[in-house]
Amino acid sequence: MGKKNFPEVKIPDTFADIDKWSTNRRSFLRAAIVAGAASQLTWFTSCSAKLEEANEYLTAEQSTVLKSILMIIFPNDGNGPSADDLNTFGFVLWTLADGLKKQEEKDYIIEGLDWANEKAQEIYFEKYSSLEDEQKEALVKQFTELSWGKNWMSVMVTLTLESLLLDPIYGGNTDEKGWQWLEHVPGLPRPTEETRVEAFFENNKPFDL
Amino acid sequence: MKDVCVIGSGAGAGPIIYELSKAGFKVIVLEKGPWIKTEAFTKDEMTVTRRSAYKPNAIDEPQVTDKPSSSGFKATSSVDSKRDFQNGSCVGGSSNFMSAYFHRLKPKDFRLLSEYGPINGANVADWPISYDDMEPYYTKVEEVVGVSGKVVDHKHLEPRSTPDFPHPPLITNEIADWFIEAGKNIGYNVIPAARGIISEPRENRKACYHSNYCGSFGCSSDGKSSSRAALIPDAMDTGNLEIIPNSKAFKLETDGNGKIIKAHYYNESGVVKTIEAKTFVVACQAIESSRLLLMSKNEEFPNGLANNGGQVGKNMVFAGGGGGSGYFRYDELSPEKVEQAKNKNTFVNQCIKDFYEIEDESFDLCKESPNGKVKGGTIDFLIEHSAPMPKGIRNKFSDGSLIYGSELKETLKDYFTAQRRVRFEIFCDWHPNDDCFVTLDDEVVDKWGDPVARVRTGFHQRDIQIGNYLADRAIEVLQEMGAGSITKSINGNPPSNLIAGGCRFGNDPKTSVLDKNCKAHEVDNLYVTDGSFMPMGGSAPHTFTIYANSFRVAEHLKKAL
Ligand SMILES: Cc1cc2nc3c(=O)[nH]c(=O)nc-3n(C[C@H](O)[C@H](O)[C@H](O)COP(=O)(O)OP(=O)(O)OC[C@H]3O[C@@H](n4cnc5c(N)ncnc54)[C@H](O)[C@@H]3O)c2cc1C
Repeated sequence: MGKKNFPEVKIPDTFADIDKWSTNRRSFLRAAIVAGAASQLTWFTSCSAKLEEANEYLTAEQSTVLKSILMIIFPNDGNGPSADDLNTFGFVLWTLADGLKKQEEKDYIIEGLDWANEKAQEIYFEKYSSLEDEQKEALVKQFTELSWGKNWMSVMVTLTLESLLLDPIYGGNTDEKGWQWLEHVPGLPRPTEETRVEAFFENNKPFDL
Repeated sequence: MKDVCVIGSGAGAGPIIYELSKAGFKVIVLEKGPWIKTEAFTKDEMTVTRRSAYKPNAIDEPQVTDKPSSSGFKATSSVDSKRDFQNGSCVGGSSNFMSAYFHRLKPKDFRLLSEYGPINGANVADWPISYDDMEPYYTKVEEVVGVSGKVVDHKHLEPRSTPDFPHPPLITNEIADWFIEAGKNIGYNVIPAARGIISEPRENRKACYHSNYCGSFGCSSDGKSSSRAALIPDAMDTGNLEIIPNSKAFKLETDGNGKIIKAHYYNESGVVKTIEAKTFVVACQAIESSRLLLMSKNEEFPNGLANNGGQVGKNMVFAGGGGGSGYFRYDELSPEKVEQAKNKNTFVNQCIKDFYEIEDESFDLCKESPNGKVKGGTIDFLIEHSAPMPKGIRNKFSDGSLIYGSELKETLKDYFTAQRRVRFEIFCDWHPNDDCFVTLDDEVVDKWGDPVARVRTGFHQRDIQIGNYLADRAIEVLQEMGAGSITKSINGNPPSNLIAGGCRFGNDPKTSVLDKNCKAHEVDNLYVTDGSFMPMGGSAPHTFTIYANSFRVAEHLKKAL
């Protein structure tokens, strides 16, 4: 009797397929402050037509779109923390300030926010911030059906996952709410102010030519 | 003048550095990356995998991959593809970040051509040394670098000069017993797999503390047997060793009479410097070692150092095979088993060697073989890595569609809390072939302006057939265990971290770059001691053999210097 052959199903490899981020060498201790500050502010709920405050990286309009889309990606639905609970918004600001992230990747995030606004105007003749919740959700769903929009949403989902799963030292995963919800035990040692990614690159800095 | 200049400080360099410093030779090491101290290592995914802090980034140090596709080979720079063969760039190299599954090769691995005959389309070769020549050095690695495990008898057990490993096996998750039990039920020997990780403290190193974040992460107890933790400290203590971190060698200069006189490198400020030494040892990890030789062109060696025979960069090999996984849902297990499955320990450390040689008349390749036998490989069993980001990313898509909202949250909650994923990895020979080699790219340069490695990654269909045969045996075990949603992935994509070949050793200068002592045939004082020497990579990850071979070459150098 011959041995059985099993058909192949493609699965991603644990580390090989993680979206990789390139790095550059600008120092960005400021980034940490930005993420921290964002968690201190009180934010309006996503259904509010009022604008979020502008900040160093985003206009009020962009902040409002970002905040709302993050809540669509990770809503407050009674199942674990929401994007607001995790401070995903603050984490995204940290990312926008991150000197290790390529400027074009940061620009891409912001372009998507502007694009959401343009689409809202095109379809509903209103700014994103003035849309009803259902309209916002419908718009986001439409994004995921377009290749550009799908890529952008994929980046936003990855950022949300980072704010859920990475160490709270980077501004997301507030009070380890993400880890607690998923019963995740972090590996030790965890990063400290001396070993967090910015400090690591400062201390082990390859040179710029 | 120094006695020896070593380029690189990872697994291939460590034993040379250790042995020669201890023997009283003056050794200098040029290491491209920084010297990361144990205290700086964390289990922070932001640092380690999201910002890949230990690897060179693609903009500074790209590589070009020339991959087979349905329309021929397609070359892309890693700047665009984000895929490369760069690993640890720091003192100790990738050995800091390995998972350290340590398997010895077996006597037949050294004589594949003689044992199984030639294979069409593959450049199969015997090694110029035998397993017996290597055995004492495997033992040395176990003792000096530190390997834990337990030897059990089985039909493919290689001869050993010591009865067992110097360190007992690491503590494993009880899921290990499920694998053993299932194997027994279907007649497969699931046996302990050794690790290059110490299970008890020794010298200045603490034992493994089971962080459950091993592969890709640096070790905070020095329990992992990296060159940095296991070999370099003792070598430093001799006073004979100098390490210059952040220094990238880019040219070896010869005297016109087949001898290297200087290594040229960029220091940490990008300034060009030189080092003179009597002997040069290159161990930059296989692809980068071939690249350094190819870059070292001059009148004497117009095609690159030691390349008048045209062999440098040829016959690259990777680890062949792939992997797969299955899931245990807690609602389908007994309470006792749920408790075992929930235990955070990720070590299984079990493997199957029954199919290291395949003798199965229903397997096509065996039918074609004159003696009914073909070379097979190793099956390793694992539990999914603890790092949460890869788990999150796995769950971003469902049937190809991006998911978000409550659906994403439900999926994540379920994945993290209602099941445990077990995995298997398959290792078989990557058959060297004329479409798997390294050259210098004509256009892409690194941040120093030097041409980068261009790696063509053609593979032999046989690797896929054997990989699938082995994966199917692993799947039988998973099925017997009761795992659900079992998948496998065996393909010709080379792993980015298990690299060898490019400077084959052999007796014939026409078909090899190095002699049996890993000295270049064409250059009097050049040795290459990373995985480059391997004519065939064996059916296991390479590092145990790289370490052992480097100790072997060190022994030769102690006499030759
Ligand atoms: C995530 C991961 C998991 C792994 N798991 C396993 C495993 O389970 N089992 C196993 O056997 N192997 C494993 N490996 C592979 C193992 O790490 C390598 O086989 C081994 O480290 C190779 O040794 P090397 O000396 O060739 O290269 P390395 O150890 O990488 O050392 C090469 C060094 O050379 C330096 N260098 C390169 N170019 C230059 C230059 N021009 N000038 C100066 N310095 C230079 C690099 O910076 C680096 O430090 C794993 C690797 C990784 C990354």
